[in-house]
Amino acid sequence: MATIGQDIAPPDLVAKVTGRAKFAEDFRAEGMVFAKLLLSPMPHARVRRVDASEALAMPGVLGILRAEEVPQVDAPREACLTDEPLYEGEPVLAIAAVDETTAADAIDRIKVDFEPLPFVLDPLESLRPNGPDARIGGNYFFRPRGSDIAEFRSHKWTDADFAAAGEGQMPMGEPRTEWSVGDLDAGFDQADLVLDETIVHQTLSHHPMEPRSCMAYWQNGKLYIHPSTQSTARTAVGIARSMDLDPDDVVLIGPYCGGGFGSKISGSPTMLIPAVMSRKIGRPVMMRINRYEETYIGRSRPGFQARVKIGFRNDGRVTALDLYIVEDGGAYGSGDFNTAGTVASLSYQPLAMRLRGVSLYTNTPPRSAQRGPGGAQIVGMLEPIIDKAARQLGIDRVAIRELNAPDNNGWLGPQQGRLTSAYVREALAMGKEIFGWEEKSRLSGQRNGTKAIGVGVGLSPFVGGSTGYDGLVVIRPDGKLYVHQGIGNLGTHSMADTARAAADVLGLPWDRVEVVWGDTSKHLPWSSNQSGSQTIHAHTRANHAAGIDARRKLQQIAALDWGGSPGDYVVGGGRVYHRSNRNQGMTFGRAARRAIQLRGKFSGYEMDDDLNAMTVASVQALAGQGLIGAAKDNYGREGSTWTFVVGFALVELDVETGQVDIKEYTAVADCGTVIHPRSLAAQIHGGGVQGFGIARSQRWVYDPQWGVAFAKRFYTARPPGILDVPLEMKWGAVGIPDPQTPVGAKGIGEPPVGAGSAAITSAIADALGGQCLCRTPLTLDVILAALEGREQPYGPLETHV
Amino acid sequence: MAVIRDMIPAFDLFQPTSIEDAIDLLDQYGDDSWVFAGGMDSFDWMKDRIKRPTAVVDLGNIPELKGITSSDDGLEIGAMTTLTEVASNSDVTSRFGLLSQAAGLVATPQIRNQGTLGGNLSQDTRCWYYRAGWPCYRAGGNICYASAPLAMNREHCIFGADRCVAVNPSDTATALIALDAKMVVHSSKGEREVDAEDYFIGPGIDITRMTVLETGDILTTIRIPGTWAGAQFYFEKVEDRKSWDFALVSVASALVVNNGRIERARIAVNGVAPYPMRLDAVEAAVTGKPQNEETAEAAGDIAIRGASPLRHNDYKLPLMKNLVRRALREQAP
Amino acid sequence: MEFLRRAANPWNQDVWIGISWDLMWAAVIGGLAFLVLHAVIAWRTPKAESTAVAETGDPAIPDRILRHSAASRAFHWLMSVTMFVLLITAFFPLVGIRFAWVTIHWIAGIGLILTIVYHVVYATMKQDLWSMWIGAKELKEGTQEVVGFLKRSPPATSSKPGKYPIDHKLYHNTTAVITLAAIATGVLMMVRVDTPFWARNPYLLSDQMWGIVYVVHGLSGVALIATIMAHIYFAVRPEKWWITLSMINGFIGKKEYLAHHDPKRWVVTPGPGARGGGAAPPKVTGGAAQSPKAVPQDKQSDRLT
Repeated sequence: MATIGQDIAPPDLVAKVTGRAKFAEDFRAEGMVFAKLLLSPMPHARVRRVDASEALAMPGVLGILRAEEVPQVDAPREACLTDEPLYEGEPVLAIAAVDETTAADAIDRIKVDFEPLPFVLDPLESLRPNGPDARIGGNYFFRPRGSDIAEFRSHKWTDADFAAAGEGQMPMGEPRTEWSVGDLDAGFDQADLVLDETIVHQTLSHHPMEPRSCMAYWQNGKLYIHPSTQSTARTAVGIARSMDLDPDDVVLIGPYCGGGFGSKISGSPTMLIPAVMSRKIGRPVMMRINRYEETYIGRSRPGFQARVKIGFRNDGRVTALDLYIVEDGGAYGSGDFNTAGTVASLSYQPLAMRLRGVSLYTNTPPRSAQRGPGGAQIVGMLEPIIDKAARQLGIDRVAIRELNAPDNNGWLGPQQGRLTSAYVREALAMGKEIFGWEEKSRLSGQRNGTKAIGVGVGLSPFVGGSTGYDGLVVIRPDGKLYVHQGIGNLGTHSMADTARAAADVLGLPWDRVEVVWGDTSKHLPWSSNQSGSQTIHAHTRANHAAGIDARRKLQQIAALDWGGSPGDYVVGGGRVYHRSNRNQGMTFGRAARRAIQLRGKFSGYEMDDDLNAMTVASVQALAGQGLIGAAKDNYGREGSTWTFVVGFALVELDVETGQVDIKEYTAVADCGTVIHPRSLAAQIHGGGVQGFGIARSQRWVYDPQWGVAFAKRFYTARPPGILDVPLEMKWGAVGIPDPQTPVGAKGIGEPPVGAGSAAITSAIADALGGQCLCRTPLTLDVILAALEGREQPYGPLETHV
Repeated sequence: MAVIRDMIPAFDLFQPTSIEDAIDLLDQYGDDSWVFAGGMDSFDWMKDRIKRPTAVVDLGNIPELKGITSSDDGLEIGAMTTLTEVASNSDVTSRFGLLSQAAGLVATPQIRNQGTLGGNLSQDTRCWYYRAGWPCYRAGGNICYASAPLAMNREHCIFGADRCVAVNPSDTATALIALDAKMVVHSSKGEREVDAEDYFIGPGIDITRMTVLETGDILTTIRIPGTWAGAQFYFEKVEDRKSWDFALVSVASALVVNNGRIERARIAVNGVAPYPMRLDAVEAAVTGKPQNEETAEAAGDIAIRGASPLRHNDYKLPLMKNLVRRALREQAP
Repeated sequence: MEFLRRAANPWNQDVWIGISWDLMWAAVIGGLAFLVLHAVIAWRTPKAESTAVAETGDPAIPDRILRHSAASRAFHWLMSVTMFVLLITAFFPLVGIRFAWVTIHWIAGIGLILTIVYHVVYATMKQDLWSMWIGAKELKEGTQEVVGFLKRSPPATSSKPGKYPIDHKLYHNTTAVITLAAIATGVLMMVRVDTPFWARNPYLLSDQMWGIVYVVHGLSGVALIATIMAHIYFAVRPEKWWITLSMINGFIGKKEYLAHHDPKRWVVTPGPGARGGGAAPPKVTGGAAQSPKAVPQDKQSDRLT
């Protein structure tokens, strides 16, 4: 029986639920000591002087690490320690001591003389004619393609730009990026309804359960490192590059990762600190990151201040979409807004579209991808506006999405790229059915005491796969298939689930498959990052290719031993045998032994020459241990792979308190072939819950006077908890295979977030009688002010509140 | 000296087994001492190294501070009784359901298992400027950062500001005020009993404390008289999320209603002032009135008279008004 | 003993936040020590021979001489009320008597400012501003007097002052400086209090500047404790009752006038319409003998107020 489509517990499950799983901070090494960080108290400063004499004189203190001792990077990139901190909480130096308490006490006794420098939190402030810049030299990094120029410059708007904006509207000065498709003016000319809205989307911390702790030590010139990272192979390569080491000299062991959401794609800059400190003091160094530090160094989703003008025909068709996004790029820059524009084009397939944007540096913590980067922000913001149009045009809200949604002929982005598949209408239809849209949408606006019912729907596309990585499998004499995985274990099960492609190609039951992951000393193939919803697509392909390679070799060995041509032999049930005589064949175990004897390509002494160097090294190391299947994913693909998730929500809004209670939630995905239903449900629901937090409660707050963060603990940042989630959440998957990938699966990690967020912003707007507050999070103060007709607690463009 | 947070520095831990021993320790160490109940507030301060007591006196081993006993027509609750026990004890739920409701809505099950009633009542404010260790008035400085022109003060007060604009975070405080409870405080000078509403003090009285407790004082017992047993109760806590949050505004009321007429009423609100606020004017206005929408409407309006919102917390006015109205409406059975 | 209260501001910079309240006790103790010392010395010092001129004074000098006009007395007592309210609201909470003091304090502060504005205007328009000037000669006399007091032998040649003896002038001027410092800093601090007229803004000045403002305000506050203690002490000393009484009813007797003042320095003549016997209040003038702008002697008698 094929493993694909089955609920099979992943191999890491028991260790996780019993607590035996070792996360970064659980590793130990002989003589291990602890490091603590000194963080900048100011949003932008220069270290003038450090006096650590008192700290270093303390018993048990072993050393200090300063910015000049760590790997240096070119602007605008981020080093792991700095003497010019660019945000409050940026690590300035580290201290190592025999225990953590001593290290902390030592930090306590260091005197640092910081010179405060000008800072800015809000990109719109930086755009003002004399507004402050986040960096000395400017607020954006100028590095045109094909030029040697690489420097900070200042991008400003004029007073006239600011004056031109109406009351509460976002001004729109000169953008830094602009693209358009079609004739925008003609698009608006065709429109029967034009909406023009100003929107604010907050920045959000990632808040993974496991902070980015790391332990490192050196042995015989090799760096052994235990970071908290989403990816394995790619992080090891990245560390080698940063530390100027040969990739073979980095042994990365990190089989578990307590969540990353895009913040630990290839680890984090700070993971180098214990590595460098360990080299300096000659002891293994553990740096445990606490929640407080994690909120600073743990990355965040960039916030948007945006203006959107959308034209609709009477039938609901989007004729023109003009989007202007000002993005808060944080201390080290970001480009989410480009993806936001692409996602908007894909969702609504406008007859004409323009994206303008400017992403500016601010003195706030670094941004990075966060689960659906750009996409989750834009759908949460635009979907209630689509609802508003539907309401004004008298169209059903699902119908307006069906009308505009892409199909297999859809396009996206400035190049009007093509898709491998899109079954959005099918997903909407399935969602309507499961959620009961016809009946639920009739409840819209009904009152139950002080509670008003709101029903919402949100469509969220996101990119769902990459190609071209390597698969590596070994059939050992024990008859088992060992699938080597260079991707990480982010908790999504993809390190196990993508192995099924090889298992199914070889017709092997799952109990005879071993997944090898999380340790680069175990010889892993070149892999995609464990991010961008790539892995289920990229590595079902790569493992499929490796499985095919192994199958071919099994057939060849059988033909060598039993005669005939390889094509006469079939593989299944742990054996390779002649199609007309089951007894004419051998077990996988025997085939593995034969492969070892035969050497050459069969057991890894020879291999395809298109494999990545990392895979080559791994195959060489594994050579002679069994039958090796190693292949690059050379399956073709035209267009890009996108997944679509539609979310449906029913909320109750208490009109006396502004509180929103999510009563029902359903999400349906067009993610191609379903590999692992239970895991898919976890992704759809988990992402949905993250979206609920974006829409309703999660905050990112700064004091504007001091540029200092407040929402840096779970209870102040308010990600949703178990009681903020409906008791029952339903899901579905269209299940139509993507035609351009052998297994048919598309990635699912990211689009559920936008679906959750958009379904809630849409449902809240519905409960408010169609009023789009055009801001996230929609906390009860914002809602209550609208209900009571009082002044909004924040200005229409106010951010970091 | 550099700042480091989220790492508890060393301190001496004392675990006395009697109130007398605890008081002796507090007197001995004076301002360097720290009364430790469940630790849910204490650990925060210690982890961030903002409050640095050298002698932590853990009350957890004093048997007489734990448990719920009937006395006369009321109840006596030891200050170290966990919130879980307060929320689930049958004497409390059957006669003083207001308190069990309030206790059951505190934070999370884990925190309620560890946190105590005394600790919940005596906890410090959650103003994030203050808790960031900034030298504000409450921390002995000369400034309120939270009321500065651009400050982030959506959680702060609309009543009772006196330099400080923080709010009291306790969920059980309003319930106990509405039940006319008495707080028993022990010190080396002996025992004294304080009305629940007088237990909490505003910044005008002492800006560095939330309660009457001074160094050397221990809240030992909460006495609830039978006066309001079985009355018509209402408790509601409005928060940003349902899992682990402090109230933006909470309300607790106890009404004795006869033939549709409010004979007696006690009502208190928290999250609106630096102390839980008993609404005397509302009580006076509704006493003798029929329990109907008109009375509730009027009460809501009276409740927010004199409120002065800060830049970001105007929403607390309608919120408080609406909660007071709800607290006075007839409850669905 | 710490002199300053310091703190780390939100950027972990060391800033002043005020004076140490130990200084309050230092002021109280210092003030008390002065009183005790003075009382002991005064008690052990033999009484100086009273100059026997009282009976023989110029018959033109009335029996009752107005030392403080009703307006001056009103000012004095109003100011003292505001001052006491300010000191009580400032310091009682620090010694454990707790009440909501801020609003009372700033309102009393405004009261103090109003009385002082009144005083300055009145003194400019109706009194002689220079009457509080301390000249070199006076300073020398004053020094001799203090030295003599400490040696318990008052200088025999002690000359008598005009309307205001040097100790009064010194006290007045010292207190004026301290009070003005308290007022100036207090006015700035009003920016940090919500009033019906404005919302507070703690960021008007930098942290460091605010630190100075708070330190100056604190120092002037504790200094006022000591100076006012001394003031009250002298007011209740028996030999000064005649002055204290004049702050209540306005007048001193001819005897005190002749005993304690130099009629040349403080010229007192009956006003027009005086019918002798001193039944009607005579007009008096503050002596301006020490004025640096030498006023011709003949003009002085014209400077009736």
